[in-house]
Amino acid sequence: MKEKVLVFEAGKCIGCRICEQWCSLHHFGVAGPALSRITIVRDHPTQIDNGIICHQCADAPCIASCKFGALKREETSGAIIVDLEKCNGCRRCIRACPHGAIRMHPEEKYVLICDLCGGNPQCVRHCPEQAVQYLERGKAERPYRSALVRGLAVRGECDE
Amino acid sequence: MNNNDNLLDFFGDVVRVNLSTGDISRENLPLDAVRRFIGGRGLGAWYLYNEVGPDVDPLGPENKLIFMNGPLVGTLLPAGNKINLTFKSPLSRSYSYSLCGGHWGPELRFAGCTGLIIEGKAESPVYLWIDDGAIELRPAAGLWGKTIPETEKRLRDELGGDELLQIACIGPAGEKLNKMACITAGWYREFGRGGCGAVMGSKNLKAITVRGTGAVRFHDAAGVMELSESITAGLKIHPKILDRRNFGTPELLKSINDNGLLCTRNFSETHFEEGHRLEGPRMREDIVVGDASCFACPVGCGKRSYVKTADGTGILLEGPEFETIALLGTNCGISDWESLMEATRICDAYGMDTMNAGGCVSLAMECFEKGIISLEDTGGIELRFGNGKALVAVLRLMAERKGIGDILAEGIKYASERFKAPELGMHSKGQALAAYDPRGCKGMALTYATSPKGAHHMIATTMGPEIAGGTRLSYENKGALQKEHQLSMCAVDSLGICSTVRGGFGMGDQAKAFSLTTGMELDIDGLKLAAERIINLERMYNARLGFSRKDDTLPKRITHEPVPSGPSAGEVLDLERMLDEYYGCMGWEIDDGLPSRVKLVALGIEDIVKEQDCR
Repeated sequence: MKEKVLVFEAGKCIGCRICEQWCSLHHFGVAGPALSRITIVRDHPTQIDNGIICHQCADAPCIASCKFGALKREETSGAIIVDLEKCNGCRRCIRACPHGAIRMHPEEKYVLICDLCGGNPQCVRHCPEQAVQYLERGKAERPYRSALVRGLAVRGECDE
Repeated sequence: MNNNDNLLDFFGDVVRVNLSTGDISRENLPLDAVRRFIGGRGLGAWYLYNEVGPDVDPLGPENKLIFMNGPLVGTLLPAGNKINLTFKSPLSRSYSYSLCGGHWGPELRFAGCTGLIIEGKAESPVYLWIDDGAIELRPAAGLWGKTIPETEKRLRDELGGDELLQIACIGPAGEKLNKMACITAGWYREFGRGGCGAVMGSKNLKAITVRGTGAVRFHDAAGVMELSESITAGLKIHPKILDRRNFGTPELLKSINDNGLLCTRNFSETHFEEGHRLEGPRMREDIVVGDASCFACPVGCGKRSYVKTADGTGILLEGPEFETIALLGTNCGISDWESLMEATRICDAYGMDTMNAGGCVSLAMECFEKGIISLEDTGGIELRFGNGKALVAVLRLMAERKGIGDILAEGIKYASERFKAPELGMHSKGQALAAYDPRGCKGMALTYATSPKGAHHMIATTMGPEIAGGTRLSYENKGALQKEHQLSMCAVDSLGICSTVRGGFGMGDQAKAFSLTTGMELDIDGLKLAAERIINLERMYNARLGFSRKDDTLPKRITHEPVPSGPSAGEVLDLERMLDEYYGCMGWEIDDGLPSRVKLVALGIEDIVKEQDCR
């Protein structure tokens, strides 16, 4: 099977943040957005909800940035896996990530990076709007291109 | 940990902030009260009854703002986002509560607070900053006078530009003690009715900003996940929910208008001839550009709307909701989106409840058309039904308390008396009637008349089954229907889920959700009993203020003026007959409409309600 990646479409997101709750519950057994690897940000003036997610970069800058060998790619899913023992919370990878998709655990000394839930991402499974999809890397650009054509990606411009 | 420790950990603390002394303290949630009153609206009633006595001035420092999350707020159960606020109302001068959706309540829960109690009055304007366990009062002099959007922007800048923290604030209406001022969270979600914004303004409290990085732990996480999935699956195929998703609350308008119960021109009629222009599908086509959801809600009934105005600028906002379209629109004889969007924007920016605002403007319009008030009184505004520009102009005056707006800002009861036309003020206990004219749907008469906070529709939305069942004009069993719906609304208000999802998240699942999250056993009967306790305690709060059957009233227009035309032509309303039946169903005395001591004992709240407060 070809490697798959997460794809987010702001034009479809309505800001319910159900994805955040399932992410945190799946990984930690508790519900709280600060423990979620996916984050939805609502920009109130433009009324746009956008998702901050790991894009599973083909050549991951987070791995390259880590000086402690704490990050590695998981063979089958291609997800980034954090070695909790090696990670010391230096936050270099947070700055290296071009998508802003890495966060510190709010209480521990390690970072939270999407692990694709072992190939069955809970955010994708539970999004009521299909705003997050799990697609082959070679097909990942298609929803974004379609949205561009539909004009949804520039919706915010209607607010003068 | 023993069971009580687990429960306290699950719920989080109650934070108490005294604005007079600056003291900030934390206390445990009273678990005995949780067992009896669940949370949210229920615990709010318990606190207000115990802490805010009958002599308290609603705008004095002794009044309190009691914010209380229900146990399901901030979980992943569908629509677990409604935080309740209980307070003594400056509008109805009675018990009042209001619920707010959006994301503010859950954020408060993630900051470790299930409840927040604001007491006293600050010397100068302040805002409260809750950053997890670090809680402080900060000066807000620079924010005073600013609109809701301006306040949010400035606060966000001041707090480091974090778009994820959540803000609840008042606008200029609340500062100026406008009796219909609301507290707004996240720009477009309000603690709306009853004037809580004025209470907050009277305390010199401009805003409450919250950032929470904690999480909610469950007694049975796997069970909660399974229940969430099954309820969500049901909601996705529920026809009524799909309508709500597609068209928002305005999906209601067509049926309310077609059945002749839509407030029209200050309730002088019950069918609006231009209503088709404001129906949900028409709105979607004309102005809706996107959908918006509150926290953890798969429905997404919020509608993002945009109009280009005549002056070339645009208005983008979340809304307008059905009640706004009705009270500011049909009840003022207005049917164009530009006027409605502009009117909504003013209410949203200044922080006024669109429903009471609409009730006040429609009153003034009728007074103007009847020559009771003149151009001199209105400051030159041709305040006629259907005049959208006049609506916008008067709302601005109300928001700024200028000219006739200063009178209207005191609320519909005061304004109608001041105009010497009390019979034209369409309210109960000072709260403007919602969109549904009880002459065209009898059950709503009991909703409005017996509500502890005045004529509020969300006490019991009986119009749904009455229209569907073809019984809207019948008096049969409306007392029993009222009781059933009051209990059902009280349950969701106390659990902290939105009433929108009740169709697919019924009382059986609600009780199950309570048990799975908390570990406390609860079944449907237990949930209904808790709801009945709450309604009785609310009733007794008002009884202590002197309210009784004599105050369960409706405007004379509803009880004596036949509907002139349309699907409900000729109908009036016999309220007394309905009250007799309803009091009987509630187990209340027929003569004064109050629970007896025996009833309170049966409900197990006789220790809270003192002997001297009873008949």
